Amino acid sequence: MTTLVGQKAPAFRMKAMVKGEIGEVSLDQYRGKWLVLFFYPLDFTFV
Amino acid sequence: MALSDSLPEFKKRNAEVVAVSCDSEYSHLAWFNTPRKQLGVAGIELPLAADFTKAVSRDYGVLFESNGISLRGTFLVNPEGVVVSETVHFFPVGRSVDEMLRTLEAFQETEKGLVCPVNWSRGKETINPRKASEYFDKVK
Repeated sequence: MTTLVGQKAPAFRMKAMVKGEIGEVSLDQYRGKWLVLFFYPLDFTFV
Repeated sequence: MALSDSLPEFKKRNAEVVAVSCDSEYSHLAWFNTPRKQLGVAGIELPLAADFTKAVSRDYGVLFESNGISLRGTFLVNPEGVVVSETVHFFPVGRSVDEMLRTLEAFQETEKGLVCPVNWSRGKETINPRKASEYFDKVK
């Protein structure tokens, strides 16, 4: 695996739970903002 | 949850935070509806994205193939869509919200053409690369 630092962030579009509703998130919607994208192993564990 | 509680700190710096796991959106919803005392994240403000196909975790290099779940990877993406920082923890250790904020603030400093030396944090001196001697003259 090579680092992503300095590269374009890989595009994504995923279903998401947003404040109790099912919606969608995509990389495009954060253009023009800083984005902290973080991954965690599983729901019902700590993050 | 600590991250969700700190969300205003990110938002006031023009940053959004998105959490991703390989669970489905329905699992995320069940987690959202579970009280915090029962390991839930009731009322969490952050979007929880469902990487149910694991494709995004794989693209970001954080899919741990032997058990099919995501490592604790944190990526900072700038407003142009370029990754400027990545940190990946193995499962047993959680991340530092303070460090995430520090990294964000440091990269925002660099937008002014400044650079942030070792152990920089908000309020500490940055280096102007064109006048670096001004910084290093003060170093004891």
